[in-house]
Amino acid sequence: MILAASTAGAVLVELGAVLLVLAVSGRLAARVGLPSIPLYLVAGLLLGEGSPIGLEGSTDFIRIGADLGVVLLLLLLGLEYTPEELRTGIRRDWSAGALDVVANFTPGLAAGFLLGWDPVAAFLLGGVTYITSSGIVARLLGDLDRFGNRETSTVLSVLVIEDIVMAVFLPVAGVLLVGSSLTDAGVSVAIALGVVAVALLVSFRHGTLVSRLLDSPSPELLLLTVLGVTLLAAGLADRVRVSAAVGAFLIGVMLSGQMAERGRALLTPIRDVFGGLFFIFFGMQVDIGELPPVVLPALALAVVGAASKAGTGWWAARRAGIGIRGRRRAAASLIPRGEFSVVIAGLGTAAGIEPRLGGFAAAYVLLLAVGGSLAMRFVD
Amino acid sequence: MELFETLLPGVGVRYEFTSAAGDRLGVIVRRDGRRELVLYDKRDPDSCRDTVMMSGEETATLVELLGGTKVTERIADLMYEVEGLSIEWVPLEAGRGLAGRTIGDGRIRTATGASVVAVLRGDASIPGPGPEFVLEAGDVALVVGSHDGVLAAQQLLHG
Repeated sequence: MILAASTAGAVLVELGAVLLVLAVSGRLAARVGLPSIPLYLVAGLLLGEGSPIGLEGSTDFIRIGADLGVVLLLLLLGLEYTPEELRTGIRRDWSAGALDVVANFTPGLAAGFLLGWDPVAAFLLGGVTYITSSGIVARLLGDLDRFGNRETSTVLSVLVIEDIVMAVFLPVAGVLLVGSSLTDAGVSVAIALGVVAVALLVSFRHGTLVSRLLDSPSPELLLLTVLGVTLLAAGLADRVRVSAAVGAFLIGVMLSGQMAERGRALLTPIRDVFGGLFFIFFGMQVDIGELPPVVLPALALAVVGAASKAGTGWWAARRAGIGIRGRRRAAASLIPRGEFSVVIAGLGTAAGIEPRLGGFAAAYVLLLAVGGSLAMRFVD
Repeated sequence: MELFETLLPGVGVRYEFTSAAGDRLGVIVRRDGRRELVLYDKRDPDSCRDTVMMSGEETATLVELLGGTKVTERIADLMYEVEGLSIEWVPLEAGRGLAGRTIGDGRIRTATGASVVAVLRGDASIPGPGPEFVLEAGDVALVVGSHDGVLAAQQLLHG
């Protein structure tokens, strides 16, 4: 009994320390005007493998917390846009979205093959280089008072389409990671995409019905219902090997209206806590000793990734009839990578396919989260 | 006057127009109910010179000052005539106060002596709502009474 109590005490002390490390990193980041994700990753690197200040008792909890963090990150990504916004985004800016995929997925995929990685790891690296951090971009656009700018709707449209691409990318990645034979994989991908299609259809046609079913005027009950449904869907998706992240994302997409807005406000602080644990845990899994050899290739890929995103933003803004200065701002606004690149790399490290993927993605995100934010700030 | 509407995914909707004097201005309606007033830069038409962020309450006040509804003008006249009369616009927020319930539920008149004399909902104003009238989040209730009575009624309505 006494033993149990003291273990619980040790876990609480470590967990408290980890949360405080997150808090201090976040404050530091805010002080210098940077997003907090890169500092969370650095904190994780310092706490993780090959570091003298390793954690002992709380690793299990942090691992589960990190899983919850991924689920919540994806739920909130799904909740971010209404079905109406998804529809308008596809209709208006699909060509910019297509250019975005081609220009920004290819560098990662190619780099993976050049490094001689497993094809699945290369595919994931493509996802890492592709996805812009909607969290960092939206936060900075607000901080810099750019929501009124005309190029902003173009930037947000591209982010919306990335959101839809994730709905296809994640299940395919999930299936590829399981690593079955080619025909089995084909069938699984078809099933996964079928589920996604049905979920999107339900969202477009009957989104309000689903939302009304789950809604409650009490914030407490709303929170419990949405969290319960999401974790259940995420767990079931994991059971059928589609990856928990996909399940959570689809639930987010299906909810809409006032209820989605209230749910978003309630869930954001919880996401921030567990998301923070996820970034720390991701950093912890990266062995610092493995970092130096990947820094140079990651830097090269970051330069290419920044250029290809900037090109996408410039082209999309020009197509929308935006002036030169607006085009420059749009170009800078797509560069930051962040939470979802880490999520995608996290899928790979969890499956253990390529030992260098974690460190590579961490370095890439560190460079472009910081570099992209600075570019957005100083472009004008 | 031509009003342009642009969807800002994840943020809200932006409305903009050019005034007769040549100034471009816009309003961003955030999903969380806040409003942002935007003045565009004449040299760089894509960016804004200045933005003003306003809460729901502040927006309601600004609209009043700009001469929003007929009800307001009448009430302003009334204020001059009755000394000690207090008038307050009370916005209702989702999940708080009397949002989603009837005016009668709050027993406002019995408890405070003040009355809800009108409700603004979207573009419509509903004068003289009865006790069975169901208030919704986003409504703005016009409360009239003594100073203390209006304050107490505000507590009930807004939560």
